[in-house]
Amino acid sequence: MNQEKKTKYTALGIGLLLTAAAVCSLLWILIPPPDNGGHTADIYQNGELIHSISLKDVDQPYTFTVTGENGCFNIIEVRPGSIGIRDASCPDRLCVLQGFITDSRLPVTCLPNRLVIQLRSRTKQSQDSLTLPDTITY
Amino acid sequence: MSHRRLTALALCTTLALAIYAVESAIPPLVPIPGIKLGLANIVTLILLRHTSLKDAALVTGARTLLSAVLFGQLLSLLYSAAGAIFSLTLMYLVNRLLKNRYPYLTGAVGGLAHNAGQLLTALALTATPGVLTYLPFLVLAGILTGLFTGFCAFYGDKYLLRHLRWLKD
Repeated sequence: MNQEKKTKYTALGIGLLLTAAAVCSLLWILIPPPDNGGHTADIYQNGELIHSISLKDVDQPYTFTVTGENGCFNIIEVRPGSIGIRDASCPDRLCVLQGFITDSRLPVTCLPNRLVIQLRSRTKQSQDSLTLPDTITY
Repeated sequence: MSHRRLTALALCTTLALAIYAVESAIPPLVPIPGIKLGLANIVTLILLRHTSLKDAALVTGARTLLSAVLFGQLLSLLYSAAGAIFSLTLMYLVNRLLKNRYPYLTGAVGGLAHNAGQLLTALALTATPGVLTYLPFLVLAGILTGLFTGFCAFYGDKYLLRHLRWLKD
């Protein structure tokens, strides 16, 4: 009897923990980050920053291609205020389906080609300094 | 290992692979890498609850290897292996804690652990801390799909167990 009660409490605890995790995640997803004037798109390949584009300074949409190991490629389209992958050599092309991103909540990731596009909103610090920041701390 | 046992485990692996094949024919629900229903985990969960950790690990290991050979590439093997190891370990612990009851909770923990394992692999492979922004999406998806898998295991075990008496000797 006592044993049964203990199991019940354990179940309740685990259930509550899971609910808390789910609610936190949901809130994180639904609450948009503050937009303080324009984003910078950082494009990483194999963990290395290969391009950094200020989306505010883009007037005309343009595309460029990032190539990687074994001939894989991703065609990236840059638009004023947004960025996304137009075409890719990866099998499932989930990165293309992820569409264009406009805020820092969710990066565009192509796992097969190890490519990540992450938007970074301008912080006060980088607005003040004239030099481009080349280290990013998370 | 007796012949009966071997046959029963092979059948379970086949069943898990068949479920996996059907599931990969379903187009991705959300365009976020790593989110899927994970229905093949039903078999793992049933084995974990009704036979032993060893059986569950054998079937899950064989399923992971074979699915990568049949449907995926080497890279996807890394992801699914990490997910499988994480989820199996955590489901085993939680199932012991819960004394074999509340399988949907075990399933939810398993789904969460699976996605955590995959995210850690992605972190290691891409070496980009930015992939951590997927964390809330993967946590939510892992819990929901895990709950679903757990319910499937809860209601489905009697149909499978009818054919799995051999595993109990």
